[in-house]
Amino acid sequence: MDLSIIKISLSSLWRNRLRSFLTIAGIVIGIMAVIIVFSAGEGLRGLIMAQVESWGSDFIEVETKVPSAAQASAENAMGQASITTLKNADGQAVAKAPNIKDVYSAVMGQAVVVTDQDSDITQLWGTTASFLNIDSGKVALGRFFTDEEDESLARVAVLGSEAKVKFFGDSDPLGKSLKIGRHNFKVIGVMASKGAIMYMNMDEFIYLPLTSLQKLIMGIDHISFVIAKLKNTDLTAATADDLKILMRERHNITEADKEDFAVTTMVDAIDTLNKILGGVSLLLIAIAAVSLIVGGVGIMNIMLVSVTERTSEIGLRKAVGASEKKIMLQFLWEAVFLTFLGGVVGIALGIGLSFVISLAAASQGFNWVFVIKPMSLVWAVGVSVLIGLSFGLYPAQKAAKMDPIEALRFEV
Amino acid sequence: MSTPPLIKVQNLKKSYQTDEVVTPVLEGLSFIIEKGEFVAIMGPSGSGKSTLMHILGFLDRPSSGTYLFKGQETSGFTDRELANIRNTAVGFVFQSFFLMSKTTVLENVKLPLIYSAEPAKEKKAKAAVEAVGLTYRLNYFSSQLSGGEKQRVAIARALVNNPDVIFADEPTGNLDSKSGHQIMEILEKLNDSGKTIILVTHEQDTARHARRIIKLLDGQIVDDSAVIDRRFVKDGGLNK
Repeated sequence: MDLSIIKISLSSLWRNRLRSFLTIAGIVIGIMAVIIVFSAGEGLRGLIMAQVESWGSDFIEVETKVPSAAQASAENAMGQASITTLKNADGQAVAKAPNIKDVYSAVMGQAVVVTDQDSDITQLWGTTASFLNIDSGKVALGRFFTDEEDESLARVAVLGSEAKVKFFGDSDPLGKSLKIGRHNFKVIGVMASKGAIMYMNMDEFIYLPLTSLQKLIMGIDHISFVIAKLKNTDLTAATADDLKILMRERHNITEADKEDFAVTTMVDAIDTLNKILGGVSLLLIAIAAVSLIVGGVGIMNIMLVSVTERTSEIGLRKAVGASEKKIMLQFLWEAVFLTFLGGVVGIALGIGLSFVISLAAASQGFNWVFVIKPMSLVWAVGVSVLIGLSFGLYPAQKAAKMDPIEALRFEV
Repeated sequence: MSTPPLIKVQNLKKSYQTDEVVTPVLEGLSFIIEKGEFVAIMGPSGSGKSTLMHILGFLDRPSSGTYLFKGQETSGFTDRELANIRNTAVGFVFQSFFLMSKTTVLENVKLPLIYSAEPAKEKKAKAAVEAVGLTYRLNYFSSQLSGGEKQRVAIARALVNNPDVIFADEPTGNLDSKSGHQIMEILEKLNDSGKTIILVTHEQDTARHARRIIKLLDGQIVDDSAVIDRRFVKDGGLNK
């Protein structure tokens, strides 16, 4: 490699340093965007996966679904709650299926809750007594309700830790009563603080026996979902198939697009999330690519100006013995150095901003991991050098092909 | 066998073609220039003197005829060969200096060496600057120099690769008479020390510093003779 040519390129970039820095702005922004997209994508993925995994992977969920709508569709998300065909008995049937260790059914509702302390619309979590066997939630004070209390429409309530503070302050709530809807419920327990799971703050909930919530408060007889804990996770897929067949039989469904339920394993859920995240990253990278192309055109533009401006310099260099190849290499190196520099500055800014984003996310209580994948750096540098080569080629050829006599006649 | 002449051209022709019109510029020139000569090529504008210098300096190719440089036929040279011979065998001094801005005297003089495999680039460049008496300006930027100093830098640059011949194209054209005399004095000294110099000018007084004048008119040699009343710039004065 001819180092002297590289030296010429560097020194002429340095002589025009202000212009050099302005020229690379487009590349800087593009590369910075790519780095942030990669880093933030990883941060977001880590955050969501941590949430998903906090549920555990040895579960199968049976939930309502809008027939004919895809499970991960907006149509389903909007209409899911209006499907009333999933019943308590479905949950009991799932419990009897093979490879199922335990099951709880649940429905969510809300009602005005009143105590001496406060009165507010509150999220209610109606579930079966087996909830505690499966969910990671723990009782901090008192006890959870029993199967008998669930079957007998008992008016008992277990408070989430924040709900307890909200309605009873610092005092001991056990044995006290609170009004939920039109009925008085007796507090029998307080849950330990659990934080947000899948973006729901479980600590703000009040837990009620499933049938009590259905019959006394909501006036319904359906549930939203059934969570089944597996005995053997190696059989997850087979068990999911079994549950699908069971549910089809119970709901008299013969065609797939009439299914009013969805059977989801955590593996499915992770797949779905990955697909969504992949799509979002792709979109952002496409936007960054546009900025890189704009940056490349900027490089080409400034290189063409530079070639014209330095016509007599090119003429002189040819007169003192620079061959076409050497002139071409000089200008090509200049373009590559510019974009390489742009790439490096973009990487530095991208890493810096990604770090700021991770700090901001952490300060908001998100469990955000700051990740920079080495591959993304390699890509960023590679792409910027490639842009320099491809957009610098034409101006460099133009410079190389100049007639030295014409070039020396040129007056700026 | 005697060594071949430095430059030998035979029936050298050059014409330019624009669209359908062919414009002849040089119409069959033949002459010889030996090593160590100081030749002025004279003629009014349009006579073809610049074109002749460009061809002799390997910046251009003849349309037909032969150009033997040190006995070697050069009219079929490739771009790479022409660049190489410009780098090693010739040096140029132009009317408008063509120094690189924002660059020091030393860096300007070093320029031809960048394109060659010469060792000791720094030392050679400094020696060339010394030869034109500008060592005290070594690290000045070219923009900080007077016109005469700029042209001396250009001469140093032409000298740095120790060429067989120096081409000077109206070297005093942009200078006042005092600076012009300094430049001619340097060229004379170089010639005295054995360097071949080919001067292109339209001024009779400047041409008379040379030992031989080739006069061109409309692409043809109208006169080729030794200078009898030669002018010298010596000891600051002019004597005939």
